Amino acid sequence: MVYQNQPVGVRTNGVQLELWQRGYQLFSKIPVFINQDGSFSASLFDGDYKLVRLRGNGPWADNTDTINVQVRGTTQIDVPVQPYFTISAPTFQRSGTNLTSSAQINQVVSGRTVEQVTLYVGTTQFVDATNNAGSASLSGTAVADLSKPLSLTLATPAAVKGTAYVRLGVKTAGVAELLYTPVQQVTL
Amino acid sequence: MKRILISFLIGATLWSTSACKEEWLDRQPVNVILDSQVWNDPALITSLLANYYNRLPVHTQIDNNNGGFADYDEASWSGSGDGRNNIISYGFDRWRLWDYGLIRDINLALDNIQTSTALTAAQKTQFNAEFRFLRAYQYFELVKRMGGVPLVTKQLVYDFSGDPSPLQVPRAKESEVYDFIGSELDAVMDVLGNDGSNTRANKFTALALKSRAMLYAGSIAKYNNRLAAPITTSGGEVGIPANRATEYYTKSLEASRKILTEGNYALYRVNPNLGENFFEAITRKANNREAIFVKDFLVSKGYRHGYSYDNIARGLREDNLSSSNVTPSLNLVEDFEYLDGSSGELKTRTADNSDYIYYDNLSGPFANKDARLYGTVIYPGTSFKGQEVQIQAGVLVWDGANYQISEGNALGTTYTDGLLQTGSSGPQRSQVDVTNTGFYLRKFVDPAAMSSTRGVGSDIWWVRFRLGEVLLNASEAALELGQTAEALTYVNRVRERAGFGANSLKELTIGRLQNERRVELAFEDHRVWDLKRWRIAHDVWNGNPSNPDAVMYALYPYRVVRPGDAARHNKYVFMKLVAPRFRAPRQFQFGNYYSSIDQSVINNNPKIVRNPFH
Repeated sequence: MVYQNQPVGVRTNGVQLELWQRGYQLFSKIPVFINQDGSFSASLFDGDYKLVRLRGNGPWADNTDTINVQVRGTTQIDVPVQPYFTISAPTFQRSGTNLTSSAQINQVVSGRTVEQVTLYVGTTQFVDATNNAGSASLSGTAVADLSKPLSLTLATPAAVKGTAYVRLGVKTAGVAELLYTPVQQVTL
Repeated sequence: MKRILISFLIGATLWSTSACKEEWLDRQPVNVILDSQVWNDPALITSLLANYYNRLPVHTQIDNNNGGFADYDEASWSGSGDGRNNIISYGFDRWRLWDYGLIRDINLALDNIQTSTALTAAQKTQFNAEFRFLRAYQYFELVKRMGGVPLVTKQLVYDFSGDPSPLQVPRAKESEVYDFIGSELDAVMDVLGNDGSNTRANKFTALALKSRAMLYAGSIAKYNNRLAAPITTSGGEVGIPANRATEYYTKSLEASRKILTEGNYALYRVNPNLGENFFEAITRKANNREAIFVKDFLVSKGYRHGYSYDNIARGLREDNLSSSNVTPSLNLVEDFEYLDGSSGELKTRTADNSDYIYYDNLSGPFANKDARLYGTVIYPGTSFKGQEVQIQAGVLVWDGANYQISEGNALGTTYTDGLLQTGSSGPQRSQVDVTNTGFYLRKFVDPAAMSSTRGVGSDIWWVRFRLGEVLLNASEAALELGQTAEALTYVNRVRERAGFGANSLKELTIGRLQNERRVELAFEDHRVWDLKRWRIAHDVWNGNPSNPDAVMYALYPYRVVRPGDAARHNKYVFMKLVAPRFRAPRQFQFGNYYSSIDQSVINNNPKIVRNPFH
């Protein structure tokens, strides 16, 4: 999943694409779940498939244009999406017993508002809204002005020792899935 | 030659006998019931009706998928396997229902009953009304899961023209299905008959269904449009316009009012012990004027279920297997308020969080709680079937500076001081068929002897509609319509039965009513549907491990061993913890609000529009 040649980070097990293949009696979708770094893969027979982005599923604007995929051996494709918001220049540091983070949120699709920006910390490299050891959020007026970078502070949870994995997520109002930065490692 | 002669003789004999009885080939079969017999015999139509009542769809019900009670936030699963405690996210096909088989059978019955020659006009009207009630019920079950569905009210018959398009009915708007349910119930309620029955539909059953269905439609109209991005489809198959909310709430309130004023129903208030009274209100069959519509069972006729076998408290089980599958969570227990109106959160630590609170007995923290808690949940220090249910996780031993936890490996163990260590009903952290939350189910569990064995089973009935729900429906509809004073009278009647004083609530919010429904209607298959129609399921169950609503909590009671300290020795303390066998926080996604439609349905009928997010 790419936007401006950059992969788009999502939650594991949440966002999916669907593959369809016509011409056979059994016609049902092949769900393809997207990894948290925005990559995906499926094992398929050679053939012609149609790849569809589900409506209202990911943190990006709906676009149900079909992408034709010809599978002949190993095939790689980029799926372009237009996220509602992107996160640029994320930084993560340890300061004492706290984790701090700052980032610039950029609006891509107009007419949407940010509901929440959250810093997630986890003990494994899988970190998102459903897999984390602790989180700190900004919402409401704190995320109303996107012209300046936002900064977040989180007291390190007791469960996290040694190495922490951190990630920022931005939630668009009315969209269930968040857009995430790549997972970063912080030594405590 | 001889053989030919014999076969000729046999043939001749057969031919001659059949010639004597001319209807040899026209005899009625003895093992097949013919259409003409069914539709001319009220007894046969009644048994057909029984079959259709039995086929009404269920989600979680005591005789079908009763483990499903542990899939939401009411209970954790303590039986074998951890699947229900480890639902990463609910599947989009979880609540899928596309049962047009029953609708076809009902449409067929409606047509055939008109052809009957032996039934009187009054019988025809009455049966006709009852079939249409069942069809409306089925459409309600469809619409609450799938959104708008094709409204098929006539038999669809293929004409072999090679063109199936006349059979391909598109989905109706969600509002149209609710309108259909409302108008069908209006049309049949006065001719349904069955007065006084609570197993067959009568006027008040129809009104109760209308009260519930119109409330669902009203709250979807209101709360779906409150979402930042309402869930809709362009054709209205999903989503109801906001301006129809008032109309639906009004219809719901009127239906509830009719039941309250015209129906011979009353809240069950026979037993002076309020906790026992609430349990009896739901399970007692004789002279129970609260039940409006139930699915009844009878052991003596072999119609029974295994709910008690599955869920009886461990220490009281009568069979050698199972017990304790669905074990209520601390989350639910804490949602029952104290009778003085304060929050139901259990007090286990001192105000400055420096020490435990020491209770003289195991039921200490539950004193003066909403009586419905006793009627729903077996909590530490209470009894069932006249026996104490021993719920004690272990002992806390004071070593001079700290407490050391000591839990027995087996049930009913004794500590070195000769007193109880772990109770005969647990809780235990990892053993199956013992509660891992510290609570057991009481609601719908049968107190009759041998009812928790596989051989005998239980015939506790399943309540589909009761007056308690109708009062809460009325209260919610009135509140949404701005008639708060009237709304308060209804909800206060329900609370008064639970032990609160008269007019215990002075003001009302939808949040209060949401909690009231959670505690009054726990384990009656309301929770998930209520959260869906209020459009808060994705907030309550957001999959976040730090969200206390999405995670299941347990309460472990311990006896303190601290000789020499009379204020603490042999007292009881309580620990709150995440239920030890609970793994994945509950996660409800937007795509769960409407279930996905099976691809084969769309393949067969291209006019079917897919639901959003699928």
